Amino acid sequence: MTVNANRTQTPPASPPPPPERTRQVKPARHRRSNLDLKLSPYLYISPFFILFAVVGIFPIVFTAVISFQEWDLVRNTGTFVGFEQYAWILSQPQFWVALRNTFSIFLLSTVPLLIMAILIAAMLDRNIRAKTFWRMSTLLPFVMAPVAVALIFSNMFGDSHGLVNTLLANIGLGPIPWHTDPFWSHVAIATMVNFRWTGYNALILLAAMQAVPREYYEAATVDGANALRQFWSITLPSLKSTLIFVIITSTIGGLQIFDEPRMYDFAGEGGAAQQWLTITLYLYNIGWGEFNFGRAAALAWILFIIILIIGLINLAITRRLVRDEGGRGVTAPRRRKGIQR
Amino acid sequence: MTSISYPPLAIIEEGIPNAKRSRRGRRTTKIRGVRAGTWVYIGLGVVALSAIFPYYWSFLIGSGTAATINDPNMSWIPGGNFIANALAVVNDPAVNFWLALWNSIYSSALIAASVVIFSTLAGWAFAKLRFRGSKWLLTFVVATMAVPMQLGVVPLYILFADLGWTGTIGAVIVPALTSAFGVFWMTQYLGQTVPDELIEASRMDGASMIRTFWTVGVVAARPAAAMLFLFTFVGAWNNFFWPFIVLDRQSPTLPVALALLQSNHFVDYSIVLAGVLLATIPLILLFIVAGKQLVSGIMAGAVKG
Amino acid sequence: MNSRAIRRGSAAIAALSASAMVIAGCSSSQGSSTDPDGEVTLTVATFNNWGYTDELLAEYSKEHPNVTIVHNKAAGSDDARANYFQKLGKQGLADIEGVEVDWLPEAMQYSDLLAEVPDSLEGRWLDWKAEAATDKDGRLVGFGADVGPQAICYRGDLFQAAGMPGSPDEVATLFEGDWEHFLDVADQYREATGKPMIDSANSVLQGIVNQMEYTYDKPDGTVIATENPDIKEAYELVVERAIPNSAYPTQWTDDWNASMANGEFAAMLCPTWMLGVIEGNAPEVTGWQVADVFPGGGGNWGGSYLTVPANGPHVDAAIELATWLTAPEQQIKAFANAGTFPSQLDAYENPELTDFVNPYFNSAPTGQISINRAEAVTVVPYKSANYFKYQDALQNAVTRVFDGSEDAKTSWKTWVAEAEAFS
Repeated sequence: MTVNANRTQTPPASPPPPPERTRQVKPARHRRSNLDLKLSPYLYISPFFILFAVVGIFPIVFTAVISFQEWDLVRNTGTFVGFEQYAWILSQPQFWVALRNTFSIFLLSTVPLLIMAILIAAMLDRNIRAKTFWRMSTLLPFVMAPVAVALIFSNMFGDSHGLVNTLLANIGLGPIPWHTDPFWSHVAIATMVNFRWTGYNALILLAAMQAVPREYYEAATVDGANALRQFWSITLPSLKSTLIFVIITSTIGGLQIFDEPRMYDFAGEGGAAQQWLTITLYLYNIGWGEFNFGRAAALAWILFIIILIIGLINLAITRRLVRDEGGRGVTAPRRRKGIQR
Repeated sequence: MTSISYPPLAIIEEGIPNAKRSRRGRRTTKIRGVRAGTWVYIGLGVVALSAIFPYYWSFLIGSGTAATINDPNMSWIPGGNFIANALAVVNDPAVNFWLALWNSIYSSALIAASVVIFSTLAGWAFAKLRFRGSKWLLTFVVATMAVPMQLGVVPLYILFADLGWTGTIGAVIVPALTSAFGVFWMTQYLGQTVPDELIEASRMDGASMIRTFWTVGVVAARPAAAMLFLFTFVGAWNNFFWPFIVLDRQSPTLPVALALLQSNHFVDYSIVLAGVLLATIPLILLFIVAGKQLVSGIMAGAVKG
Repeated sequence: MNSRAIRRGSAAIAALSASAMVIAGCSSSQGSSTDPDGEVTLTVATFNNWGYTDELLAEYSKEHPNVTIVHNKAAGSDDARANYFQKLGKQGLADIEGVEVDWLPEAMQYSDLLAEVPDSLEGRWLDWKAEAATDKDGRLVGFGADVGPQAICYRGDLFQAAGMPGSPDEVATLFEGDWEHFLDVADQYREATGKPMIDSANSVLQGIVNQMEYTYDKPDGTVIATENPDIKEAYELVVERAIPNSAYPTQWTDDWNASMANGEFAAMLCPTWMLGVIEGNAPEVTGWQVADVFPGGGGNWGGSYLTVPANGPHVDAAIELATWLTAPEQQIKAFANAGTFPSQLDAYENPELTDFVNPYFNSAPTGQISINRAEAVTVVPYKSANYFKYQDALQNAVTRVFDGSEDAKTSWKTWVAEAEAFS
């Protein structure tokens, strides 16, 4: 994990080297600080874990248990059926369609979203006037209540009278079947997702960018690096930890997209031919539409495994792409051109 | 070339043919760097416009009448009805607006504060303290985020029903007091922005772990904490499904109360959207406060120290 | 989700406000269910608009001064349903819970958790209404509230422009007949004007299916969905003849809401609760009328019941209140408030209902029309807890054909595959 990676960085050249350590510690103090060192981490994490065990872990365990059962919500009882629920789900064509949809929407949303978030964060990081206004304006979409977002976008992407199709007609392009064609429905939903989450992720990246000392940029400017160069060589590497965070949370969130496909039409079923049915929407309909919680739990765990696999892949990709250069610490930079040192 | 106060890459930059030589020698550049150019403002303007547009559109509908949303020739100038619609929202006896507003404010604030505190503590431990099993525990916490939360409602309800807490605002607050997301975020942020040297220096000065946490960790975490507070507050504010299930209809939170508008005012989206905008105002106020916390990188000063 | 028979009351019909809530403070009532004179707070939970106004509930409190009533409203049927099944058998439900007929079959699976309707009320309701709420052991567990007898609502002005008759009596004669005849008239309209007559194809499907005795499965549990010739015939009729004559595949979209005002279609199947929907969506239009006719004679769409959870703290008092609320007099008042049509037989003799006239629909005698249509209902399909899964999937099949995602044969095959997976 990134946590360990940070610990192995060599100290930056910038701050003056710490004074020599002397080994003159008094015994009593040594003992106390040793205990302090060993015990306190557990104390720090325990408030979180105690509560989390009750409200976070208990539901998860419960979900795992009932995924192997035929569960009656009202009577709170179930009969053990082994892997039957899992087998049923995997045999449903709807599951595979939902999987395809989920990946499609995930790619259409997460990739542009992250690129835009980085760019927006970079812009916000600059020395601009009215900082608070610009920064907070990017978060406005996140705040908007789902019902309003649904109204706006369904109006915009309406097949017959929507704003977008009207605009397209004005420039001579044909109307796009937003609610009948799977691909275009994914585009529309990805747009809704991007709208909501880009600013959110941009601010996360911004918070991390703000911690990069300005002197680095200053010095680079003095040495003639342009903005793009500075971004690529100073900003991005310093963001490694945060980038990993953003990519992991976006992966998890992107594979769990629920609100937007659900609000995309009135019925909330993902389309008559399941054009935009995502896995979590499918799960919700099984659990809250049919009240078949055993089955829904099984689907949740299948999704969990999928997310785990994709998450690990993404993590590996990110770590390779974002080399640990500049910022807090420097490993020997690898350059293809320029003067070798 | 000065060789200490910047990373080695700058040395190599010399050899790059496209470097802007015109900037060289301009040592009087302000401490925060070159002022942003017009392109940045244009880009940000586009972003801000697309962010604000839906609010404006809601305001357009909210200041019209029930027929406005269906009107294909809806004008882009707001009508005059907004105050009337807003009053209809606030005075609707079924909606219980002021109580719902109060419930939302204090439950969201409590949740956000709690998440920030617990997450900073845990994040500090995971990021900067060494202890057995930290890596696995953190991975476990992150992995729990992958289990969809819709299902959590069922066992949580059973739990709270057994405790007899259904119908109280506590049932909304307690499950949300911790957040795996928050812990993950603070871990990454603190891990990245707090250099180990600062901690060592503090320990060298004889500070206990708590003091170190307080003087180094908490100070460094401020921008991230502000961010986390904001996100958590907004998330708690807009949460609908769980409060709907567990709360008594007498004492709702705002989204639950607003949902009633849709049935009471049959397809009158002007009132519904007016209500939605009203519900967003407290959040905007919070933005202004929290936004200022994001303005500077606190650590930039400390590192040089 | 379940079929979209969402009922909306008509706020415009009501002289009184269409919604109100009696807030009587938090309830922690001490009255025991056996002491009829103890202080009792009863909660009533409904959704959308059942016509239970403050004033109506206050009348009960006047006659029973020891009872305070608190009225909880959910935003819609879905929310109420989620809430209901989450809490049934545990704590948290109201003393009286409203149930929509769409999810009544699911609730009937747990009829042992509901209190029984007193025998003295036998015969109060339409027989098919009461039967749907009677479980295998003969216990009646639902107090019938409203029903949705279907007539035909049409735009008299558009009909006349198409050279067809426009007055309600003539139109009633015009549509008299079966579904094939109904679609003949639709073809006629389309030829004359080039526009579809019907609002949505799936409403026709619903109309046909709601006249069958057995649809997808039988009371003994056998599934006949994919083998039932009636279902196949209904599908084919809708796909071949109703789709070309329909403006939309399904209802309740923004476009569909807007189309009531802009003349995209000229007629629709109209349960009593739909009248308020039309008026709410097209307040300025004057051409809407109601014809006392329905293809195939009679059909019911929608409706609701009150249920009393058996593990509540004040079951006896709740039963008393539910009895009162679903009495003919109160239901008529609710109808006047919200357009929810009574299911109580005695109400059909009451001049307040028989003489009721709706000004928006050009003074149509909607009370008497609905009575006629309710009495014309001969068959109400048996609906098991799985009914809505099949029906929903079949409606999706029709939508796919309408949208062009699949052709008729393929869409049917897809439905058959889905239906087989349900069992």
